[in-house]
Amino acid sequence: MANTQDRLAISRLINRFGFGPKPGEFASLLSMGLSAAQSKLLTPPATDTSLLQVSDPDFPDRGPFPTVGTPARTIFAQAMQSDRLNLELWWLDRMVLADHALTERLTWFWHGHWATSMGKVEYARPMKMQNETLRTHALGNFNQMAQAMVIDPALMYWLDAGANVKSSPNENLARELMELFVLGVGRYTEDDVRGVARGLTGYNVDRSAATFTFNPSKHDATQFSILGSTGSWNAASIISALVARADNQMFITDRLWFRMMSTQLPTPKDVGAAFADREILPAVKKMATYVTSADPLLSQVRSPVEWAVAACRALKITPSKSQNRAQIINYLEKLGQYPFNPPNVGGWPFDEAWLNIASAQYRIGFAGHLVAQGDLSPIAGLSGLTMQEVLADWLGIPEFTLRTKAVIRRTGLTTAQIVTLAICSPEYVVNG
Amino acid sequence: MDTVSRRKFLQLTGMGAAGAVATQLSLASIVEAAQSRPMPTGTPILVIVTLYGGNDGLNTLVPYKDPIYYSMRPGISLGAKDVIPLGVDDLALNATMTGFKTLWDRGQLAIVRGVGYPVPDYSHFSSMAYWQTASPHTFVNSGWIGRWLDTQPHDPFRAIGLGSVLPPLLAGVKNTGSVLPLGGLVVPKGTMAKEFSALGRASATDSPLQATVAASFGDLLNLSKKIEPVLAKPAPVADDLPSAIGGSFGADTSLSQQLDVVAKLVAAGAPTKVWSVTLGGFDTHADEIRAQSALIGTVSTAITKFLSQIHASDRANDVTVMVYSEFGRRVRANGTNGTDHGSAGPVFILGQGVNGGKFYGDEPSLSKLGNDNLAITTDFRDIYGSMLEDVLGTPVGQVISGRSTKIDGLMLKP
Repeated sequence: MANTQDRLAISRLINRFGFGPKPGEFASLLSMGLSAAQSKLLTPPATDTSLLQVSDPDFPDRGPFPTVGTPARTIFAQAMQSDRLNLELWWLDRMVLADHALTERLTWFWHGHWATSMGKVEYARPMKMQNETLRTHALGNFNQMAQAMVIDPALMYWLDAGANVKSSPNENLARELMELFVLGVGRYTEDDVRGVARGLTGYNVDRSAATFTFNPSKHDATQFSILGSTGSWNAASIISALVARADNQMFITDRLWFRMMSTQLPTPKDVGAAFADREILPAVKKMATYVTSADPLLSQVRSPVEWAVAACRALKITPSKSQNRAQIINYLEKLGQYPFNPPNVGGWPFDEAWLNIASAQYRIGFAGHLVAQGDLSPIAGLSGLTMQEVLADWLGIPEFTLRTKAVIRRTGLTTAQIVTLAICSPEYVVNG
Repeated sequence: MDTVSRRKFLQLTGMGAAGAVATQLSLASIVEAAQSRPMPTGTPILVIVTLYGGNDGLNTLVPYKDPIYYSMRPGISLGAKDVIPLGVDDLALNATMTGFKTLWDRGQLAIVRGVGYPVPDYSHFSSMAYWQTASPHTFVNSGWIGRWLDTQPHDPFRAIGLGSVLPPLLAGVKNTGSVLPLGGLVVPKGTMAKEFSALGRASATDSPLQATVAASFGDLLNLSKKIEPVLAKPAPVADDLPSAIGGSFGADTSLSQQLDVVAKLVAAGAPTKVWSVTLGGFDTHADEIRAQSALIGTVSTAITKFLSQIHASDRANDVTVMVYSEFGRRVRANGTNGTDHGSAGPVFILGQGVNGGKFYGDEPSLSKLGNDNLAITTDFRDIYGSMLEDVLGTPVGQVISGRSTKIDGLMLKP
């Protein structure tokens, strides 16, 4: 058995830079050792063959909403609802089935960062397109990502960019671009907000088709100043100017560190330095060197999606093929988080926000739903210390506490009850 | 980024409470406290309603006779048919706010106009932090009700926020309010109840977050049967107020659910002096007219129903409600039939102890805008002054350093 330190470090690696282990994966990483495990988990393969089994749904342009009260409207609403469910399950499937989950994990991070909600966008087609864009750039270059996102139809619609026109600018996208996506609050002036809004005038969006257009006659092409530079601006030049700021380097690495490593500890300087060229993967790799720290402030609560995906990976459940497949989304909604539906443009809350009596009861119900259809064979027929150790390896838990050991080894429990208790245990809900 | 500015960052992004971790209360524990040590009737209670997103004050309290209002807001101005005139100063309520009009006529609604703080900040997260900490432009690590809690003996029931996340306003330096998540409770039974209860014990090697997970199981399983008689009972509804209709249009009713729980717990005698409830969705950058009218109608309907429930209890004179949002919106409509972030807005104070049916503070003039925005005529900290001194009975200076003023005459019996 590997030493406790390595178990903790590898558990952090597979959870922070993936979605938890598939059966047998944790033990295999332990046996290869920390440095080989680090290198394996932080080096995405050219192709992840496990994802070939996830068929890519095509969401057609469903066109405008038919008139309320007509039969066409009912059919339309059903199609839209079915599109949304298929989209949500498609992404959960990718998170669960990926052998190498780093790309999906970062795509998930970026979704929370550029938090865009189906609640307003409504159509699956632009939401899926945004998701593909985030995946393309998830580990790539941040400038390229931001260039793509500023003209992303879902984001544009979400922040009212569509009809931002010269005669009457709408500041929503401009403000959030600087405050939440690229620079961070307080790192610009109100005049800069107005300037960026002016520079983004004339960009329009066709929501259902998921396309954007540019209308020069509605674009403010006059000379004005943004962050101290004067010129005639467009989306591309604005993004280049914002991303070039030192504030961008600090802001993005702070967000990565906060969401993936610690909400308590400050971002180490060398993580910021690794982002000097705005390349995301080197910064992520640098963060991963900190998994060996003994500081308990590195512990993080798994958000509902992260927890459920980890459980599905361990239990070999494909969300789109699970029993009453919408049930997984229903439970996630009760827990306060499901894909494509962040609560607001600031993204989801974190840590303690996920821990209360309401979430405790839903987590217990959700765990029961998953365990009832999961593959429990890894601990079938085992008992006592052996069962406990195999269970910890299966789920990627560094070490059970004495409390939880006593609970799961109580005689008379069924295998399903043991697994339900284990995936609800504080050691599993919180990654150490 | 050092630790202090990181905390600031967290707070400004609205994602973390300023101070200590909030206690998660169960309904059972509040009901138990209400039964074992009921709060004496006559004890003042403050209910704070936070509207997230920046409510459009001009389409809430409408200057419906001002031609500038119509010329600056083509497409999103409310015409004479869409408003209920209040009969004073040519101002009217949004037509969805029938409940508030009834309360106004009864003298139980006061409207404070032009409320904000010097030098508006147009970020949702910054502005909300300023309101909740009562400290515009200067970072402090605590909320105003949290600091009021600091002046009181520690009691986890004294201030409660509905929902799963602690609003920063309840976080003090040494005392912190509690949160009460909503939702029906389904508790494990039989063997699993016993095992989850064991999983709810703290372990010496738990990290603080792991200990919180364990505690959440403990709380869940301590759910007492005592809770059921209180929560299963329909809240009292008085018949002397017309049931407010109009205004919901299927909009979010969660405010009404939150206030329903508060009404039941207040009536049951919960030892809670401050309640915090919230409603989001006011960030109406586009297609504003329908969405904002629906939302503000929901606010009016839910609070009117809440006050009618309280009216039927023996605490009718005890409850004061304060409704605010982090900023108003830009006077001029934008290109998408919405409005961008603005400055001043109205604050509503409701209850039988309010000197209502009248305005406080000057209405900002539409012809004297600064940077396209309404002038601030009332500092929100003066309203807090009235709530602290005339409702909660604590000198404002003990909570908001350097402040001594309030809105004179806002409350009937200081």
